[in-house]
Amino acid sequence: MRAPWIAAAAVTALVAAGAITYAVADGDDSGMTAPAADSADAGFARDMAVHHQQAVEMSYIVRDRTDNEEIRRLAYDISQTQANQRGMLLGWLDLWELPKVSSDAPMTWMDMAGMADGKDGALMPGMATNTELTKLGKLSGKQAEVLYLQLMTEHHQGGIHMAEGCVKRCEVGVEKRLAQGMVNAQESEISLMAGMLKERGAKALS
Amino acid sequence: MGSAKKSAKDSGSGSAARKARIEEMRRAERSRERRNRILTIGVSVVIVAGLVVGATVLVRSQSDDDSTTAASDSKGTGKFVTGADGVKTWDTKLTQNHVTKTVNYPMEPPVGGDHNQVWMNCNGDVYTKAINNMNAVHSLEHGAVWVTYNSKASKTDIDALAAKVKKTPYTLMSPDDKQADPIMLSAWGKQRTVTSATDPNVDKFFSEFVQGDQTPEPGAACTNGLSQ
Repeated sequence: MRAPWIAAAAVTALVAAGAITYAVADGDDSGMTAPAADSADAGFARDMAVHHQQAVEMSYIVRDRTDNEEIRRLAYDISQTQANQRGMLLGWLDLWELPKVSSDAPMTWMDMAGMADGKDGALMPGMATNTELTKLGKLSGKQAEVLYLQLMTEHHQGGIHMAEGCVKRCEVGVEKRLAQGMVNAQESEISLMAGMLKERGAKALS
Repeated sequence: MGSAKKSAKDSGSGSAARKARIEEMRRAERSRERRNRILTIGVSVVIVAGLVVGATVLVRSQSDDDSTTAASDSKGTGKFVTGADGVKTWDTKLTQNHVTKTVNYPMEPPVGGDHNQVWMNCNGDVYTKAINNMNAVHSLEHGAVWVTYNSKASKTDIDALAAKVKKTPYTLMSPDDKQADPIMLSAWGKQRTVTSATDPNVDKFFSEFVQGDQTPEPGAACTNGLSQ
């Protein structure tokens, strides 16, 4: 009876020790050697750079369509943050001497190829269509604010899902850390936007 | 088993006794098998549970390696742990929710936790009056280093630090009469006391933590927030 218990305890200890070793060893110089073009590290850098670009664009549009200070500040925050993060992602691809595009469908690196149909500019989950962006550019005041909050909430939801894919699969410590930061920050922004939608008598689309 | 023993004793010698003995052995074997089966299942459950616990530790250590994952309790039971370099690190997760209510931070000045949705401008901004902790914490989230001082700090040190902050984007400075030491430096989850403006630990803290890898939101701005 004792032996199996000892075996079970040993297995548990081994797994825990492995996890601790992994956590301690993680994230040091893992970004110094180039990952493969089809790796999660390269795929996330490519796809999130595209995903972020639309959030930047959308935020610039709404800043031209409303005088509301709170919305304009949120849009400023999102566009600054995502433009900079996009620069980090593209910079890593440059350092790794990897292409910015792939013939594989977006998110193939996280086994989610074909998640979005790519029609009308919505290349990845959460992305707005060109039609929606055009509409945002024509609305003004509260109507523009509500559509922006709705589109950005969906954009964040898709972005968080993709960032979680990198947290799970990426091997470059600094990239994984950035992805986890995106998850935390965008989750917090989704709840902030839910409150802002409520104040405007609206709610998220999904 | 008891009845088999009894019947074997009662029936004396001969084939009846042998039959009873065989029957008893079979029962004993069945009972042994049952015990072994229960033992096997039990041990399997323990091993699987062990693996689940181990895997959970593994997954957590993978996904939380920046110590910024949003948790629900912002006033948790954390404490500072001082490193060999004298920098104190908050030892539990600091939450990142945007809130409008007043947050009571467990340290002064605060190094993280829930905060106001508007960040304090931290593009080398020097404030001569105390600022709201809830706005300042948002600046730390964006990667800023916050220099604070109380009434015991000398004017020479204050002026020298102000000059340094003014030429360093992603830093800010303000008085904080509630803090324990004359001059303190804070970043997200990090804090230290320095003895003067010329203490070499000032430069060290700046180079390590201005937009350092403790930053929960890399790339976020220090401009267009709140100013005094």
